[in-house]
Amino acid sequence: MSTLATKTPPASGAATRTSAIYAENLSKCYRMYRKPSHRLWDMLFGLKTYQEFWAVRNVYLDIPHGSTVGIIGENGAGKSSLLKLLTGVTTPTTGKVEVAGRVASLLELGAGFHPEFSGRENIHLNCSILGMTREEIAERFESIVAFSELGDFIDRPVKTYSSGMYVRLGFSVAASVDPDILIIDEALSVGDEHFRGKCTNRLNEFRERGKTILFVSHDMGAVKSMCQWVVLMDRGEVLEQGTAEKVADEYLKRAHARGNERLSALNRGSSEYPRWGSGEVEVTGVEMVGPDGVASHVLRTGEPFSIRLRWKANQASKNPVFGVGIYRSDGTYVNGSNHHWRDQPLEVLDVQAGEEGEVLISTDQLALLQGQYYLTTFLYDHSKAAPTAIDHREHVLTFEVLDPKRHQHGMLRLNSRWRVTRRGPSGERNGESLA
Amino acid sequence: MFELVSSLRRHKHLVRDFVVRDLKGRYVGSTMGFFWSVLFPLVNLAIYAFVFRLVLKSRWSDQQPEEQTILLMFAGIVIWSAFSEAVARATTTLVENSNLIQKVVFPSEILPVYLGISSWVNMCIGLVFVLLAVTWYGYIDPLPAPTVPARPGDPEYMPLAFGGSLVLLPVLFALQYVFALGLGYLLSALNLFIRDVAHLIGVFLMVWMFATPIFYPPVMVVRAHYEWVLDLNPMYWLIEAYRDVLLFGQWPAVGGLLRFALVAALALLIGSSFFQKSKRRFPDLL
Repeated sequence: MSTLATKTPPASGAATRTSAIYAENLSKCYRMYRKPSHRLWDMLFGLKTYQEFWAVRNVYLDIPHGSTVGIIGENGAGKSSLLKLLTGVTTPTTGKVEVAGRVASLLELGAGFHPEFSGRENIHLNCSILGMTREEIAERFESIVAFSELGDFIDRPVKTYSSGMYVRLGFSVAASVDPDILIIDEALSVGDEHFRGKCTNRLNEFRERGKTILFVSHDMGAVKSMCQWVVLMDRGEVLEQGTAEKVADEYLKRAHARGNERLSALNRGSSEYPRWGSGEVEVTGVEMVGPDGVASHVLRTGEPFSIRLRWKANQASKNPVFGVGIYRSDGTYVNGSNHHWRDQPLEVLDVQAGEEGEVLISTDQLALLQGQYYLTTFLYDHSKAAPTAIDHREHVLTFEVLDPKRHQHGMLRLNSRWRVTRRGPSGERNGESLA
Repeated sequence: MFELVSSLRRHKHLVRDFVVRDLKGRYVGSTMGFFWSVLFPLVNLAIYAFVFRLVLKSRWSDQQPEEQTILLMFAGIVIWSAFSEAVARATTTLVENSNLIQKVVFPSEILPVYLGISSWVNMCIGLVFVLLAVTWYGYIDPLPAPTVPARPGDPEYMPLAFGGSLVLLPVLFALQYVFALGLGYLLSALNLFIRDVAHLIGVFLMVWMFATPIFYPPVMVVRAHYEWVLDLNPMYWLIEAYRDVLLFGQWPAVGGLLRFALVAALALLIGSSFFQKSKRRFPDLL
């Protein structure tokens, strides 16, 4: 995936401005023809038989030198189309782009690799394609080889590479172009942990040297930690731009709303999961409730939440016990509890036909980390020797947890305390951090 | 046009890298490597010599020895193959390199250029064989002079020889290159609008090849009153000029050469301006 496109724009115009990238009223319209040949008739005779698709619409950007800018948005929001316009791969339908300095874009690493050639030969050609001069290639060749960490594979044909090795070689070449402006399209989400670390270091190096970086990412953590300025795109338009904190939160809010929409649809049609029991008492409804007291399918790590069950008795029941199980989407059983097995058990005895009510299970802090989870409700009769099912509903509700901070990984957030001790000639120093 | 030339000049190293990659790429991974580029024209020759010389008995005149006929065919094949290869590959080259065009600021105008150079290099390998054969049958072991009288209307007998006209060879190379490049530019860009062009060009080149006197003497076409086919076929003018220069040491007909130069220049003018005009839209068309 990396191709790095380099280009040096004409010195006029751009040089008079202090911005690294300046775009005004930038739009890109793709013409969708029903048949490719219609395009030719259009070009020759002006027959307009196409439908317009505006991938980018009225974008205004003014990015100063030395800043790091993130572009975020859902799939199909026009992020890649915008990057293509900024790098000059495609030409805008309206508006203009001015770019001051040498641009390197990692839109696709390893574009132009020839599978039969060795890594060495491909480095050479790829550098050439990216616009490096002979001298630059000779000078940087060894460092590219070293950075890729391909070892003996560097002399083997690229067709024998694993996809990770391919991308590593591509990134090594791309990163060796010494651009003033670096444009990256999700190129860093590849490779193993170690190599990704190296890529991030390379980016930080760029940043420290005062270069401008523009990158597309879905990882809000990376965006927040690297970017001063974030541009949120939606359906080709810039919805909002501003500081990383502000815009990334706006994005999460939108993702939240969207997740809710999607999951409600999913939950409406979730009757295909098994449900069994004698049916004296019925669980008629289940809801997740967020901190604002409103039912939601999307919750956030660390915020208060509760589960609300509604029930109705069709017949009398001696000792019904309500329980809830939380499962991760892959089926891992995360937590199960009921109102009876507690230090101070609740008793719901002798329920009569026609009674109804609610069960509310509340927590101050949601300990689940980012992911999709589902609930199963258990309603069992504990008056007999072994509990028997009254109403057991598998997979009754699907919900999603968002973790904007992403400070912890895995399934559960632990409120841990950290303490780091250092001993040396200057004595002992301690650092401590809560959760 | 001016813009095109300056871009090519700027990217001359890239063109060279692409030519090297292409020539190496053809044979890297195959055991006999370079040997194939020698073997391929020879096998081609063997097939056509068998069909046209032995089975169909085509020949230029009664006076002509066997070896000369085969050499005339061979020279024709070598030149035609290079030309048709350059044109056919150029037609699909933009589609094949779509990842470069869509993802990188890439000078796509170098693609037909490098394909032309690459096929020219291959042609030179074949031409070396032609020149070796002329040396052998013209000087080391000369073919016997004709013993039978010429039939009326047959082309005049000429012995194999080198002459001062060999200085024209670079001119012929250049003219052929310009023509192939012009067609390459036109067809590669056109192929993005109408993908059928890639298929059509295969058929078209085959028809064109058999319409060109490569395996039979032009005089047979004239006798069959199809002269107009020859009058419309620039490749006939070019191949005849090549044969005069390479095999007989003769100066080619100036008229044919001038006409070819005119057609080639026109092809390049039309092809490159169409290419340059639609180039901006290539990334959207792929």
